[in-house]
Amino acid sequence: MSEDAVIESELTQSQTLIWTGQLLNPEVPLYNMALTFELNGEIDSSHFQAAFDKLVEGTDALRTTFSNKNGMPKQLVLSKINASTEFIDWAERSIDSQNLEDYLSERSQRNFDLTEVLFDSVLIKTKEDCYTWYFNQHHLITDGWSVTVLYKKMQSLYDASLNGLLEDCKALPSYSNYIAFEQKEREKFQAQSAEDNYWKVQLKHLPVAPTLYACSNTGTRSDSQRISISLGQERSDQLRKLTEAPDLRAWTQHLSLFNIFSTTLFAYLHRVSGQQELAIGTPSHNRLSAGFKETSGLFIELFPIITAITDEESFSSLFKKVQIETFDFLKHATPGAATSELSRGFNVVLNYINATFSDFNGIPMKSDWVHPNHADQAHVMRLQVHDFDDSGVISLHFDVNITVFEEELRNDIPAHFLKVLDAFIKDRTAAINATAMVEAESIVGEQKGLNYKSVVGLFEEQVKQSAQENLIDYQGGKFNFETVNQKANQLANYLTERGLKKGDRVGLYLKRTPQLIVSILATLKAGAIYVPLDTSYSGIRTTDIVEDADLSFLLTTKKLSELINYQQELNCVELDEDELAIQNQSSIYTSSALHEKDLAYIMYTSGSTGKPKGVMISHGALANYISYAAENYKTLNKISTAFFTAIGFDLTITSLFLPIVSGGTINVYEEPENGPDLSLFQVLEENKSNFIKLTPSHLVLLGDKEYPLSKLEVMIVGGEDFKLELGKSIQSKFGENLAIYNEYGPTEATVGCVVHQFDIKKDYTSSVSIGKPITNTSYSILDEVLHPVPKGVSGELYIAGAGLAEGYWNQKELTDNSFINKPFEDGSKIYKTGDLVRLNEVGDLEYLGRIDEQVKISGRRIELGEIESALNRLEGVETSIVELRSKDKTARTVAVENCKSCGLPSSYPNIEFDDNKVCNLCNTFESYQSRVEKYFKNSNDFKALFDRLPRAKDDSYDCIALLSGGKDSTYVLAKLVEMGLKVLAFTLDNGYISEQAKENIRRIVAQLDVAHEFGETPAMNEIFVDSLKTHQNVCDGCFKTIYTLSTKVALEKNIPFIVTGLSRGQFFETRLTEELFWNENADIGKIDKIILEARKSYHRVDDAVNRLLDVSAFKDDGTFEKVQFLDYFRYTDVSLDEMLSFLDKKLNWVRPTDTGRSTNCLINQAGIFIHKKEKGYSNYAFPYSWDVRLGHKTRDASLEEINEEIDEKEVARILEEIGYTEQEENTIEAQQLVAYYVSQSPVEDRLIRSHLEGLVADYMIPVQFIHLEELPISSNGKVDKLALPVPDAIRPITAVGYVAPRSDIEEILVDIWSEVLQIDKIGIYDKFLELGGSSLAAIRIITRANESFNLELPLNLAFSKPTIAAFSEYVRETIMKLLEEMHED
Amino acid sequence: MKEELIAYIKSELIGDDTMEMNSEDDLLTSGLIDSLAIMRFIGHIEATHEIKVAPQDMVIENFINVDAIADYIQRTKNS
Repeated sequence: MSEDAVIESELTQSQTLIWTGQLLNPEVPLYNMALTFELNGEIDSSHFQAAFDKLVEGTDALRTTFSNKNGMPKQLVLSKINASTEFIDWAERSIDSQNLEDYLSERSQRNFDLTEVLFDSVLIKTKEDCYTWYFNQHHLITDGWSVTVLYKKMQSLYDASLNGLLEDCKALPSYSNYIAFEQKEREKFQAQSAEDNYWKVQLKHLPVAPTLYACSNTGTRSDSQRISISLGQERSDQLRKLTEAPDLRAWTQHLSLFNIFSTTLFAYLHRVSGQQELAIGTPSHNRLSAGFKETSGLFIELFPIITAITDEESFSSLFKKVQIETFDFLKHATPGAATSELSRGFNVVLNYINATFSDFNGIPMKSDWVHPNHADQAHVMRLQVHDFDDSGVISLHFDVNITVFEEELRNDIPAHFLKVLDAFIKDRTAAINATAMVEAESIVGEQKGLNYKSVVGLFEEQVKQSAQENLIDYQGGKFNFETVNQKANQLANYLTERGLKKGDRVGLYLKRTPQLIVSILATLKAGAIYVPLDTSYSGIRTTDIVEDADLSFLLTTKKLSELINYQQELNCVELDEDELAIQNQSSIYTSSALHEKDLAYIMYTSGSTGKPKGVMISHGALANYISYAAENYKTLNKISTAFFTAIGFDLTITSLFLPIVSGGTINVYEEPENGPDLSLFQVLEENKSNFIKLTPSHLVLLGDKEYPLSKLEVMIVGGEDFKLELGKSIQSKFGENLAIYNEYGPTEATVGCVVHQFDIKKDYTSSVSIGKPITNTSYSILDEVLHPVPKGVSGELYIAGAGLAEGYWNQKELTDNSFINKPFEDGSKIYKTGDLVRLNEVGDLEYLGRIDEQVKISGRRIELGEIESALNRLEGVETSIVELRSKDKTARTVAVENCKSCGLPSSYPNIEFDDNKVCNLCNTFESYQSRVEKYFKNSNDFKALFDRLPRAKDDSYDCIALLSGGKDSTYVLAKLVEMGLKVLAFTLDNGYISEQAKENIRRIVAQLDVAHEFGETPAMNEIFVDSLKTHQNVCDGCFKTIYTLSTKVALEKNIPFIVTGLSRGQFFETRLTEELFWNENADIGKIDKIILEARKSYHRVDDAVNRLLDVSAFKDDGTFEKVQFLDYFRYTDVSLDEMLSFLDKKLNWVRPTDTGRSTNCLINQAGIFIHKKEKGYSNYAFPYSWDVRLGHKTRDASLEEINEEIDEKEVARILEEIGYTEQEENTIEAQQLVAYYVSQSPVEDRLIRSHLEGLVADYMIPVQFIHLEELPISSNGKVDKLALPVPDAIRPITAVGYVAPRSDIEEILVDIWSEVLQIDKIGIYDKFLELGGSSLAAIRIITRANESFNLELPLNLAFSKPTIAAFSEYVRETIMKLLEEMHED
Repeated sequence: MKEELIAYIKSELIGDDTMEMNSEDDLLTSGLIDSLAIMRFIGHIEATHEIKVAPQDMVIENFINVDAIADYIQRTKNS
């Protein structure tokens, strides 16, 4: 290549993205743009070559190469290059089109070296009068439009060459014009603030790239396959006709078509992903001006179009939304605005190409776009819509990533898309999901002919075969088949004698005992239906069932019968009382004939209305399940099960009936009288069973213990989602020989109907799949309108077959809604499970959660199961539950404890108690106590401050004393006078000072003979309201008002000091933080400086005081020098007794009695009430704990004060008086996601969050993560969600949505802010003040940040850079500066 | 107003200040400016005339030529 003159320039934004993409995939031709033009006529190859050379000479983009200096790319336009078009004459070789295609396909996959020529051209003579021009360019220098520009130019140059006019031909406009233009536009864009810029706003609403057909949402490699289809003449005509319809018409026909295709694509993506918020990527051509339209080079940029699909979306309604989004996209798609961040929201690209190629200089031409078999792997699918040859027939290329979609699916994709497109064309008012995308298909289990034998028949066969085998093993007692049968016969005789008839319902209110088993058998033998009544149920639930089932008999014991209430007339048989009468019955009984449709049991499950519903299970259904289980769950010896789960839960059927029908043993574990049911541990300890059935929650209970000697051979897990991690841990605990089965089955489909044998080696999904249907069972996965979903797409599970229940007892409507006619086959019934599932790649069912547990947050549908699965993938997490919790639910119900040392309540945020019930603040205090003591000074230091200044003249004062009228401030005032200082006492009359307190004030100032002023402001109530809303107390607002007004007085009267009577504990509430003393070399001077800086920020914060009072003086730093605040008790250590005795002896101070409390302020309790209500503890709890810690208060006195009773009526009156209404936002903020996870030790929130970020959408990341040792479990062995602990802090609603931290610095800062502000989920754009930040919080944050980053950051940073984003940028710059300085040194 | 609109079209959308253009010249169906350009133009109109062009107003009739556009702006401002 000749290195003639070179023009160097920067890359455009779009070029940078492609350049980076290529750099990351150096071996892959993913940006090759190759076209072929088949020319059916004679071409003069030398003229063609001359024309091509002229084309290169006149097109700077074709002469562009790229350099890479230290990762900084540059583009270099060379004035001349030695590259031309090749000419190959294959006319003699009689090659066919396939040979040519293969050759060109291979040639199109050649990689370009970015530092060399970036095009490849060849003219091939295939036969006489037939040529193919192949022209490949790297995307860095071209785009679709450019190819048409070059093709047109090539034509005219060839024509000119033929006519000898080549020299006169002009060059194309230079691409450098665009580079300059783009740079200007990009800078304009970048300078725009986040609020002003459309794309920056869109960035915050970006959805996650969808998962299509349950396949990965991004490719692992760039390998891509192009599947092309033609829409055909008829469909193309119909589409063009649609563009004229008033509701579809747009600026141009092309735009209308684009809108139709984008709407269709959105509808299609929704249907194959289930995602409601979707983005697709689409290029903006960026060729606005006529000049750019004639320029060759890379102009296009990809932007997302975002839309949200609602539940009842029609094509028309979606079209309207998409059209508006498209308008906005076009309006704002300025050059240079496309960023890689924006691209994260989409993995599907719609490329609507309106470029066409005409004849080549009169010679007929057919173009083709050669796919290089590679494409950006972030794009799982690209839909290219074009009609290059202007034929009137629209063609579609689906470029699909082959590492994402399997071959079969790849070939199905165009057909699925066409189904949606045709539905749009046919009737756009129809719902987008109204047409099925795939043919109906049921997944069918093994079909066995009818071979029905009732469980009673099977039992009686076993009685003959295994008469002496033990059927029951209970607390050392053993009962063989014969005995059990005789007992069952006696009971059946007894019941029949008392009037039991076939079809009667018999309630069994019994514990897990041999009695129960006999009762079940007796009931069934008599042809009656048994109804299990769990003795752990609440009385109300049992009564409901007794009445709903219309029981004719109730079998129980004397003791248990006392626990049950009912109005129903029925025969109550107390088995222990009636024992003799029963034993006197004959032990022979001829069992009733049991038909398949006869009911065996009615099992009650909780209904959504709260009233239990009775599921009727027939003998046919029961037999079908039990026979399957007996055949498939094989043990080496006779089966020996553990009967330790609840009788009212159909999971237990397996352990009960398997031995009965197969001659095995039931090991019975009776539930305890009271206290937790620990039978599971007993089962494992006794180690008698080889078969166990339980829930995943049971398994989680097992913890770390290993069971290498366990006799268990078969374990059936059911009733809940079974996570992979748990499966692995169980397999390793029990060893490889344990066969673990994951059994899925709603009660309505009899115990278990879909089963998967866990395979530790092959199973890979985070929830163990539930597998395939059992014998004589089938299922379908359908969408909301009962259409089958394509393979891999999630939908509702519908079950059909022999196991279906006969419906709900006495609830016809409910039955008809749940057991529907099979939609696409014969009239048989199919049960609507309410469970969300999908078929995975190996053809097994995956359980995704309950449909009615799907929750929505701000209109977005959230799959809790998906979040749980993602969470469980984190190493160490055994299991998890994600719940939408509201603040109402979070009202504290746990008992509050108080620190044994300081009295701080356990409801104080982030507080931890040790085994001695001492809080962590007390425990760590020891380590820095000596440094805290240094902060305190003595009275000489105090006097010295005054001595340094000239004493006050007659008409002026040495200091202002803030006098509230309480004991502390009264004491301070008296002491100041005693020191001989000239004092002006100042009291804020906030409107709620008690009369007696005012009396005190008047009396004291008269007695001490000091000047006194009452300050007041008409804005007081508004300040109270603001304080209550921001700080949940009244004191913050009141204090600030006092400081503001007294400072004003001090400035006016030239008074240098204002003396406060704050207690030492209050210092820690308002001035000091523990962090200040952490550093071993804590320097008091420095701390004072920090406090002063905090004070400045404090007075400059925008709040009601700043809006309503004159605060102009605080803008001037000088004010803080002119007027200083002195805390009297910093210099004096006085005990409460001393103080009270001083007041008693020297002054006429009387404790006010008219407040009914230990305060002199009537509004105080309103603040405490709100604080307790919203934060769960008194606002005095913290400062008082410090008073105790510092020895100024006893724990008892503190507790007495913080637990003082509140007059709620009076509080309500005061709140109304000042105009405070409870914030309505609370109800919105109430709905937030909380994750509970079980692991050995807590995991840092940051780690959990960053783990989830890659796996779920931002809005699906829980606000709080709560670590649990184990999950609470109900009597059925399932997670008891109501018993989950209440979460602490809830993220407030802030102006902007949550945006996660993007860098390490931001993550560290989020941690610090979260800890200090006690909010669990802080987004990087949340504002410090909106999060409840105060100047004290600012001190904490800065101190901690300084420690983390080893910096000295300015204190006001939390105010001047009020978001994590801005704050971290400052930190980053500071670090960079320091590094540079280090280098310079 | 029309001169201002024509000047914007010529310099910003077509990039040719010297071209001849009249207020009744067809902008859209002639292909003189495309969808991207008209939307950019609407963005400009919204900013300079302080109006908001509602999606349902984005129809060819309102934007077919400079006369129609000026008329539309006037109507929208008055309403």
